[in-house]
Amino acid sequence: MKRENIIRIGLIVLVVLVLAILNSTLGNYQLRILNLAGIYVVLGLSLNLINGFAGLFSLGHAGFMAIGAYTSALLTMSVAQKQSNFFVKPIVPWLANIEMPFLPAMLIGGLVAAVLGTLIAAPILRLRDDYLAIATLGFSEIIRVIFTNTMSLTNGALGLKGLTRYTNVPYSWGIAILTILFMFSLRRSSYGKAFMAIREDDVAAESMGIDLFKHKLLAFTIGSFFAGIGGALLAHLMGTIDPLMFRFLMTFNVLLIVVLGGIGSITGTVISAVVVTVAMEVLRFLDGTIDLGFMVIQSVPGMRMVLFSILLMLVVLFYQNGLMGRDEITLDSMGKFYKNKIKKGAKS
Amino acid sequence: MKRIALLLVLVMVLSIPLTACQSSDNGSTADSDVIKFGVFEPLTGANAAGGAMEIEGIELAQELYPEVLGKKIELVIVDNKSDKVEAANAATKLVDQDKVNAIIGSWGSSFSMAAGPIVMEAGIPAVGTSCTNPLVTLGNDYYFRVTFIDSFQGVVMANYAFTELGATKVAIVQEISNDYSVGLVKFFTDEFVRLTGDPGSILYVANYNTGDQDFTAQLTNIKQLNPDAIFAPGNYSESAMLIKQAKELDIKAPFLGADTWETPEFIDIGGSAVDGAVFSTFFDSQVPLTPESSVFLDAYRAKFNKEPASVTALAYDAYILLVDAIERAGSAEPGKIKEALAATAGFDGAAGVVTLDENGDAVKNAVIKTVKNGEFTYLTTISPQ
Repeated sequence: MKRENIIRIGLIVLVVLVLAILNSTLGNYQLRILNLAGIYVVLGLSLNLINGFAGLFSLGHAGFMAIGAYTSALLTMSVAQKQSNFFVKPIVPWLANIEMPFLPAMLIGGLVAAVLGTLIAAPILRLRDDYLAIATLGFSEIIRVIFTNTMSLTNGALGLKGLTRYTNVPYSWGIAILTILFMFSLRRSSYGKAFMAIREDDVAAESMGIDLFKHKLLAFTIGSFFAGIGGALLAHLMGTIDPLMFRFLMTFNVLLIVVLGGIGSITGTVISAVVVTVAMEVLRFLDGTIDLGFMVIQSVPGMRMVLFSILLMLVVLFYQNGLMGRDEITLDSMGKFYKNKIKKGAKS
Repeated sequence: MKRIALLLVLVMVLSIPLTACQSSDNGSTADSDVIKFGVFEPLTGANAAGGAMEIEGIELAQELYPEVLGKKIELVIVDNKSDKVEAANAATKLVDQDKVNAIIGSWGSSFSMAAGPIVMEAGIPAVGTSCTNPLVTLGNDYYFRVTFIDSFQGVVMANYAFTELGATKVAIVQEISNDYSVGLVKFFTDEFVRLTGDPGSILYVANYNTGDQDFTAQLTNIKQLNPDAIFAPGNYSESAMLIKQAKELDIKAPFLGADTWETPEFIDIGGSAVDGAVFSTFFDSQVPLTPESSVFLDAYRAKFNKEPASVTALAYDAYILLVDAIERAGSAEPGKIKEALAATAGFDGAAGVVTLDENGDAVKNAVIKTVKNGEFTYLTTISPQ
């Protein structure tokens, strides 16, 4: 085995160990944030694949999350829970008696999202840039409106509640780590290279023999699959879902993570998913009354959002390509970093 | 170099709160002379206005009743950003970090439902303010609420339509994207069909989405069917526009609605068209329902110099109900508060007398009001059977 691979496996084992320790020592609140960070890693990476690798500016993520969330929720809910939830209109008979474990339900959720993603993408991938963004945004709203109106399938605006809260650190971070590994190997593969060729210059890519439509469709399908998985994880972390959860704001949250981390950077997305999720909670103290010792600032609700926005503006001003740009933290780059340091040390 | 310097600054800015959080935690856990009420409300985002009205009520209640069992009551207010995921985070923080004795909130059933499993698991009782979705308290022993749920309001309006208006055929317009409207329509339909004994008495159910402006399609259909009354619970701005457009189409049938209509904006938007619209609500600022109503109204007018919204009264009730439950339990232990809350009967709140049923839902009188010459006018009070 190559030395690099041993180091890679060692790193993964180390991360798993750290997560296992965190899982057994943290309180419920911190665990919740940790889970949420893992879910946002999955969501951020899936949007990063569509927006960053393939350069398709999609704003439809919340719609695919909704599909994954609803599909998996309806599959895992117990028969009794379904009956008590659907008190306005009874649930459609073919769904009423299905009950399955979380893992297959989540995968089916992802697959349904992928299939619908493909169906939606096929006609609208003819559009480019802003037009594509508007069309995908429209589709995600359409999905939400359909879910609001199909009372016998989704319980409409009343939402679903009483889902077993299956999502825990092994699930959320296990899938996050798998997604990270998948994204790295996808990027190294010929498909990943083709995605990036399309992003840089699609005319040049096409003249080199890359099938534009096929590759764009593939990127969109894989992205939708992981969005569906992320939605399923989120639903089973919350224990309740409703169509309003999947408004444009949800897409915006994920987009924020991708842009902040650097569009096209895997490690950047992972870092910013964790930082954004944790920072939103850590900054919560700003909403309360702050005692600085020499003066007391009365509580102002919303201060947290103000500071968060200022931090965002700072990042956008000083790091126009996001925290990482398109760079990655890899073994190579870390090695170079150390070598440079050693060189500098030797010179002085 | 510049980048590294900036990164360092960022790290430092982010680490300040970490230390601040720790110090405040240490300060509060040592202090057991305080009873903590956690409040989670949408203070930013789309529903910030609703959250602010409820905070007014809770803070007013704390000014009037700052102590229970000789201990001071401390409010821990957190923002849920009008976001379901944030609402769950906020509730977990209250339960896990702040170690509150009980929770109040929230505006919006969706946020309360997100907090439901968290309070149940932790065994901390929660009192909902204006969340009306029946699913909030269903199957959750730790969630209570001071507002009546849609079932009773739907039944009241069905009875009113049948007995007072003598209606035998009604049309319904529901705001399909609003859980509140969908729930009300369900219970109205069940009761009205039971009263008339005719499944065909509901002529037509039309849907619209929040934010819609044009209702001509739905109304044209309704006009042809010529119903005796139209039941159209929903958001006040859409409802007012709906009624206005109905009058333009010369639809004579009276409109029936529910408590969301009771805002000045409803009359501002609807103008003379909404004259004669009838709705049920739980509170009237002109006719005090209980002695507590007068206390609340006087204090509110003195402090804010305006008329309170009904959700403000409900939030006020949630607070004083918790104080009352702690007094009855003789302890601020969450488990005991929960039992005392479950046993609540005939409690005098500012927005009516509250009795909690086996689901933890308030059973209370409904007030029926109408719009007359551009003003809300009291018609009658209906008590639950």
